[in-house]
Amino acid sequence: MTFFEYISKNYMQVLTLLIEHLKLTAISVGLAILIGVPLGILIAYSKNANKPILAAANIIQAIPSMALLGFMIPFLGIGKVPSIVAVVLYSLLPIIKNTYTGIESINPQTIEAAKGIGLTPMQILFKVKIPLALPVIMAGVRIASVTAVGLMTVAAYIGAGGLGYLVFSGIRTVNNNQILAGAIPACILALLVDFVLGAVEKLVTPISLQKGDNTEKKKKRSIQKIIILVATVLIAMAFIFTSFKGKVKEEKVLTVGAKDFTEQELLGNLVSDMIEGNTDIKVNRKFDLGGTQVIFTALQKGDIDMYVEYSGTAYTSILKHPPIGDLEEVNNVCQEEFMSKYNIETLKRMNFNNTYAPAVTHETAKKYKLETVSDFAKVASKMKSGTTYEFLNRDDGLPGMEKVYGFKMGSSIAIDSAPRYTALVNKEVDVIDAFTTDGLLMKFKLKILEDDKHFFPPYNPFPIIRTDRLEEYPEIVPVLEKLGDALTEEVMMELNYKVDELHQSPSKVSKEFLKKQGFIK
Amino acid sequence: MIRFENISKSFKNKEVIKDVSFTIEEEKLVAIIGESGCGKTTLLKMINCLIKPTSGNIYIKEENIKNIDEIKLRRKIGYVIQQTGLFPHMTVQENIEIIPKVLKHDEQDIAKNTINLMEMVGLDGAEFLNRYPTELSGGQQQRIGVARAFANDPEVILMDEPFSALDPITRSDLQDELVELHSKLKRTIVFVTHDMDEAIKIADMICIMKDGKILQYDTPENILKNPKDDYVSSFVGKKRIWSSPEFIKVSDIMSETPITASKEQTVLQCMDRMRHRKVDSLLIVSNKKLLGIVKAKKIRNIEDKSQPIKLFLEKDYITLSPNDTLLDALKIVNEQSKSTVPVVNEKNQLKGLITRSSLVTTLSQQFFDYEEDETI
Repeated sequence: MTFFEYISKNYMQVLTLLIEHLKLTAISVGLAILIGVPLGILIAYSKNANKPILAAANIIQAIPSMALLGFMIPFLGIGKVPSIVAVVLYSLLPIIKNTYTGIESINPQTIEAAKGIGLTPMQILFKVKIPLALPVIMAGVRIASVTAVGLMTVAAYIGAGGLGYLVFSGIRTVNNNQILAGAIPACILALLVDFVLGAVEKLVTPISLQKGDNTEKKKKRSIQKIIILVATVLIAMAFIFTSFKGKVKEEKVLTVGAKDFTEQELLGNLVSDMIEGNTDIKVNRKFDLGGTQVIFTALQKGDIDMYVEYSGTAYTSILKHPPIGDLEEVNNVCQEEFMSKYNIETLKRMNFNNTYAPAVTHETAKKYKLETVSDFAKVASKMKSGTTYEFLNRDDGLPGMEKVYGFKMGSSIAIDSAPRYTALVNKEVDVIDAFTTDGLLMKFKLKILEDDKHFFPPYNPFPIIRTDRLEEYPEIVPVLEKLGDALTEEVMMELNYKVDELHQSPSKVSKEFLKKQGFIK
Repeated sequence: MIRFENISKSFKNKEVIKDVSFTIEEEKLVAIIGESGCGKTTLLKMINCLIKPTSGNIYIKEENIKNIDEIKLRRKIGYVIQQTGLFPHMTVQENIEIIPKVLKHDEQDIAKNTINLMEMVGLDGAEFLNRYPTELSGGQQQRIGVARAFANDPEVILMDEPFSALDPITRSDLQDELVELHSKLKRTIVFVTHDMDEAIKIADMICIMKDGKILQYDTPENILKNPKDDYVSSFVGKKRIWSSPEFIKVSDIMSETPITASKEQTVLQCMDRMRHRKVDSLLIVSNKKLLGIVKAKKIRNIEDKSQPIKLFLEKDYITLSPNDTLLDALKIVNEQSKSTVPVVNEKNQLKGLITRSSLVTTLSQQFFDYEEDETI
């Protein structure tokens, strides 16, 4: 499938996300202007406030964007609000700095003349200082806006939506067309924003301070005015369009989340489709929510109402117990402690086990005669592992595995989601942590090493849901149990394969499956 | 009009104005002059409260400006600085109308007033009102600056080196126009400059400052003729007066003790007196009033030398007034070929005498610097 085929098939989705992206960026930059310009003016007047404010803005700018986004979650949860806050924080520095510089660089004699002829401080600010500083302020806004378009893409990591959704989704499923479908419009949007704001910048520069012939400049001005008018209308339409959609509010709404890998998105879709197909509840889908920490915090904060968690992850990663292999024990502990600690209900576990499994290429397996993890332990010191961040750090991941099997990896790096498969087939790494139901195992035809010491805990998924929401919608329990019983390992691997290899959308795969099973109409 | 009373100003322990007191009369154009750092601009900015004195008071029309709202005060005072004082993002019209607009004056009145102001500063409104300051020459910008200062009909106008960045010809034109404007509109103008030629040309009164103190506050004429001390005379320039010969008065160069005789004295007595005093003419006076002149060659041939001199008086002489200038004296001496010209006041009382030789002595001063203390 070529890129253009992908676009022509999905242009409505791309367009919707583009509009959403534009809207989010506009809101963020708008807020950044509302905060940044007054702050810039403040520090131009008060030299005492100058250093701390600029230092704070500089520090924020220096924080890696991913870290800032991650940092938002404990305070603001996930979704659009923390994303906007993060982008606003990032946009502040150029706006504050340029406002300050713009005002500071005005000829002091001009200011004194303004004072001397009897303008009040406020009149000096609004009639002289701001108009003269406006071109410089606009240059700052322009830089901030272009950066904001890019950053908003990254913010899809915590569920902002927008074009970043396509990028992340594409990276996860090794779907280059989808990545491009997100990245290219984002790029064009950034260039457009730069172009339009460049026109604004020119327009706010007093005609007398521009170079060149005045009549020619006046002609250019009318063109610039048209550009800005069109841009304003487009943004206004984006707001109207999306707010119109947002106004259609369902009375019964449940928000379902999912982590940022294929199976999670499939499970999210399956759960959502089952609920929508069998009850009158409308589901609000918030998929693509990063790792366990992100999504579980979101659940605690009520940003989402439920998602499907894996027993092993819940037991070791959330509840911080050392990994054990007993499925029933794990299940019982999770159920009990989720209720007592977090007031979260654990529903019946699903019928498949998506546990970790070290995977190597058949070539490697043949070369070293690898069948089991014990075989692998003997040659591990020569190997390089490429695993998810979670696997690299968790007790039920690499550290525990090394301890139980008694080996030490030659070297290890962390790669998120699907790219580690690519790294494996490109021989950049020798072993990765695969999931037993992973469609990419089929796609890349990998060798799974048998966990002969039964180290990995069971990873049977179960839906977890906030107690208050379950009390509200008890009708979902039998629906989800029916779904969970139907999902075996073979089924999951096939569904994953359809998404990862055949590049079908998770929502389509989910609906097809459920229809075939006769679960929904 | 404006009275400074014991004004001092310190910036961070450095005293830049030291107990200054002086008064600027209404409708006068006063130039404050001095080297940079003498405090002249500081003094000017105190009038519109841009700088506040550390101690002392300033009164405008006997009202202490401390008791006037700063903004209101400034709006009643025109303020002109170098061309950067215009707002670059506003057109000429917007620049001129900014304060009347802020005060929400009637739109039509403002527009009418603006046209008048443009006429006053000699610029064509239709051509210039919609231009931006950067599209104007330095001189045009400064005219707009002056127009803006007059926009709110102020009683006092402050000018801080307004012409210093202009080329000499434009500067000279604007100085002429300022003098004309001042004589026509009768506003009190305080003008800061470092250019003595400019101060002498335009000012009614000159205030010379040094190190935060006023050295001399006087008319241009007195400053030129009677510099109070060496600094003033060196600042004024010893030869400055020769570029303004109109300030050299007959009374400055005449001999104040001409050789006179009473009308009752005899011819012989008069000839004796001339011989004795080595002069060839006598001024005949009675009760200090000049009656006539007698010349040696005219009375030498009189046979009866015992006759009273009053019978031989020459009456067709030309006189000068003490207030006439050096130029008047030179004109008479040259054009009328008179070697001696008596100086009388309006009551015909004899005040002195101008002779060819006294003129030569005066004029030669500009070439030979006769230091007073050296000649003693």
